[in-house]
Amino acid sequence: MNAQPPKWADRFLQWYCNPQLLEEIQGDVYELYDRRTNEKGSSFANRRFVWDVIRFLRWSNIKKSDSKYTYMNHFILFRNYLKLGFRSITHNWVTSSINIFGLAISIGCAITVLRFVDMQLHMDSFHTKKDRIYQVLHWVEDESDRDLWGDVPLLAGPAMLTDNPAIEEMARVEYIDGNVRYGDDVFGELLGFVDPQFLEIFDFPMIYGNKDALYQKEQIVISRDMAVKYFGYEDPMGKEVSIKFSNGKIRRFFIGGIMDEYPSNASFYLHFYISMEVFFDIHSEKHFDWSYLTDATFILLKEGQEIGSVESSYEKYVELQNQSDSKWKSMEFTTISLPQLSKRSFEIRSSFSRGGHPAGRIGLAVIALLLLTMSCFNYMNISVASATKRLKEIALRKVMGGVRRQIIHQFLTENLLQCAFALIVGTALAYYLFLPGFNAMIPIHIPFMFSSWTVMIIFFVSLLVLIGLASGAYPAFYISRFQPIGIFRGNERFGSKNIASKILLAFQFFFVFVTIVGGFIFTDNGRYLNNKDWGYNPSGIIAVNVQDNAQYEQMKALVQEHPKIISIGGAKGHVGGSNWMVNVDHLGEQFRAHYYRVNDDYMSTLNLRLTKGRFLTARSQDQISSAVVNQKFVDRMGWEEAINQTFVYDSIRRTVVGVVEDFHGVSFYNEILPTFFLGMNKENANHFVIKTDVDSQFEVDQYLKEAWYRIAPDDPYEREFQSDVLNDFFEENNANVSLMVFISGLAIVLACLGLYGLLSFNIQRRLKEFSVRKVLGAAPSNIIKVASRQYIRIIVISFILGAPLGFFLIDMLITEIYSDPKATGVLPFIASISIVIITVGLTISGQIVRATKVNPSENLRNE
Amino acid sequence: MGKGGHLGEFEELVLLTVGSLYNEAYGVSIMDEIVKESRREVNVSAVHAVLKRLEAKGLVKSWMGGATKERGGRRKRYFSLTMSGKKALDESIRLRVQMYNRIPDVSFNFSY
Repeated sequence: MNAQPPKWADRFLQWYCNPQLLEEIQGDVYELYDRRTNEKGSSFANRRFVWDVIRFLRWSNIKKSDSKYTYMNHFILFRNYLKLGFRSITHNWVTSSINIFGLAISIGCAITVLRFVDMQLHMDSFHTKKDRIYQVLHWVEDESDRDLWGDVPLLAGPAMLTDNPAIEEMARVEYIDGNVRYGDDVFGELLGFVDPQFLEIFDFPMIYGNKDALYQKEQIVISRDMAVKYFGYEDPMGKEVSIKFSNGKIRRFFIGGIMDEYPSNASFYLHFYISMEVFFDIHSEKHFDWSYLTDATFILLKEGQEIGSVESSYEKYVELQNQSDSKWKSMEFTTISLPQLSKRSFEIRSSFSRGGHPAGRIGLAVIALLLLTMSCFNYMNISVASATKRLKEIALRKVMGGVRRQIIHQFLTENLLQCAFALIVGTALAYYLFLPGFNAMIPIHIPFMFSSWTVMIIFFVSLLVLIGLASGAYPAFYISRFQPIGIFRGNERFGSKNIASKILLAFQFFFVFVTIVGGFIFTDNGRYLNNKDWGYNPSGIIAVNVQDNAQYEQMKALVQEHPKIISIGGAKGHVGGSNWMVNVDHLGEQFRAHYYRVNDDYMSTLNLRLTKGRFLTARSQDQISSAVVNQKFVDRMGWEEAINQTFVYDSIRRTVVGVVEDFHGVSFYNEILPTFFLGMNKENANHFVIKTDVDSQFEVDQYLKEAWYRIAPDDPYEREFQSDVLNDFFEENNANVSLMVFISGLAIVLACLGLYGLLSFNIQRRLKEFSVRKVLGAAPSNIIKVASRQYIRIIVISFILGAPLGFFLIDMLITEIYSDPKATGVLPFIASISIVIITVGLTISGQIVRATKVNPSENLRNE
Repeated sequence: MGKGGHLGEFEELVLLTVGSLYNEAYGVSIMDEIVKESRREVNVSAVHAVLKRLEAKGLVKSWMGGATKERGGRRKRYFSLTMSGKKALDESIRLRVQMYNRIPDVSFNFSY
């Protein structure tokens, strides 16, 4: 036989074929092969040989463990593995609980994060018609940019409904501010005019009333929160409230329905639903106005219709809108389906739906994954180390006829068992600790319910299997490979020189340093911002919302005699409270600027710091054409000397009479913008601002409130302490800082758990070595050095690599987020290394002391 | 013979070949014989599968032959008819002849 059949095919045949049938089958294909080689050449024979091999691959020829006793055996052994698993958990309860607890922490985090991501991806899913609901959006040309707006012309919705047979229903939402009064209670509220169909298109649950409540325009529907706020324990149905709209008109309404508590995954809802008819009653001129934009327009398609047929008709509405005298020109209409809406709401300007930004979900998912990876590493390290104790057990199993596969099965079963425990503990942690904590930090509420049972089951099972296999596979496959003879002779010495577990430990501490340095920089910056000078002194300043100049003057006349009130100012717009943004032309270029209209006393009341010139006065010159600007404004204009320079705003040439220091009116996320102050010039003030000393501000607040209800019993008393205007920013920022600190805390806990597990095993294993050293006269310090040397080295290396990377990453992040972050000093590095040294020291000291206290006579006597 | 013992067309062909090759019947020779006599394409794996089935039904018996040179030293498994195999063949031939004889002569009149 000179020609040889293809080796791989032959080997494949030997691999799959039942050994009892192999000889005859192989004989036959060889015989055929020889004959074909002689007759038609080797390439033909090779091809046919492969074909024959494939054709022989039949169920009846395949190698099978053909006895049912084998299955029985597997089952019994599995029970045995489980029992052994339980025993090893209880026997090594310290390591087991470290393993389980470490895994549980990161599983808890993963569950929390997944729950968050899951909810973010399934916003608004409770609307049963969600696949047929679309929001109409449009692209608007804004200076040089194209922006996607949620506001569309008020008339577009009805036009689409009449023009397009594919649309079943349409509903618009128009926000408006108003003061709602029931009895003596008056509150300023955000109201929504909606088409009556709104309640039918969407499936917000209602407690009282029907979904057709808004077809009667004297009825309104309110949320459950509002029902409690206004009516307490009374039955709200049919009660009469009066609403004063922003143009001064007052109307009476009956409560026609109460919404149930909104599902936590609702990305939009209202507290007051008023019929759109009422809006047209108040603003009848809007009936034919294509330039007027409403806040949201939804359409419901008929069953089986495609959105494409609607989209093709948009051209017409763009034309209609462009013919109107709107300042903002539509470029093109588009639609977005409800399931997509909350995911893309961050792209939409003034979006009705409030979905989260995807960066949040991605960032948190990455962190959860890193924590999971860390604890899997721990697990692997500790399992490998703890297997040193069990080498003899493994060898004995092998000698008694156990095959490698059985040992792998045994280890995997034990690992899965521990992971199952960890999963239970982790779920409990997530339920009782992490999720409530997370909820306290963010503005939305996440319940512990997944969007569907399938998602939940898939998640839990895959978590169990992935973690069980990922962390159990390495010890299982590694240890089961050892030869019994080597183990009994004591040749298999692993763990001490195990490069892999050192690398894993180094990686963990690397991660610890990255997060801890980052956490410190973040915290440090947070504290810096908390104490940062705002550019003016906000303490003791109270701003009250007023409707117009008449109210302002009435209030002023009423309270100005109060001895504790130092000064009173008025403004349209208010620093920190309502910062208006406008475009200013400069040499043909536009830039964005804040502006406020202020009266003669406002700027001094607010303690703004004048650097040059003077504040605005009551003189008519100042009221009409003078301006005070901030330093940024001067810089942007490029003026050497700012006083008496001019700029044009609103077609009037303004002369600069004073310059103030830059101040923070918005939040520390945004850069300070160029800012200018103009005189009131007969505009209506909407803020009544007083200054008092800090200690009397609550007393003065009470006094103002009483005065307010004397002049305006129909309007709510709405005031803000100036020192609170940036509270939203600080709350969010502090939440971020606590999240960061929490993550670095978890990272260090996990890393220390891993270190502890590894160290305690290594010391256990080396007790004899330490005893011998002691007998030969080693001092305790020497033993400490020997025992901890390799770990110190790992930590130093990971500090050298991790700290700069953490610094680099967080520094990048922080300059991206804040306009003016604190310059990072050496403090984070010193703090992080000392924290790690302390925690590591605490972790290992007990074990090291155990090493120094060894009693040689006990440890050496049985050799 | 119940339904389980019913012979398929290819099974019958293999069974006949085993009988006709008498003591020289093994996978490749059976395949060759079928290819030669019926001029149809047959894969050796199909022959093996049928032989195994027939053996399970007790219609053939098998034994391993001696080592040979041309098969890389591997032995052949030889097959021969058992008594019940012979009976099954007789039965199926008898059935065919009987049915065939019942066809009325008039059906053979193809000249219309």
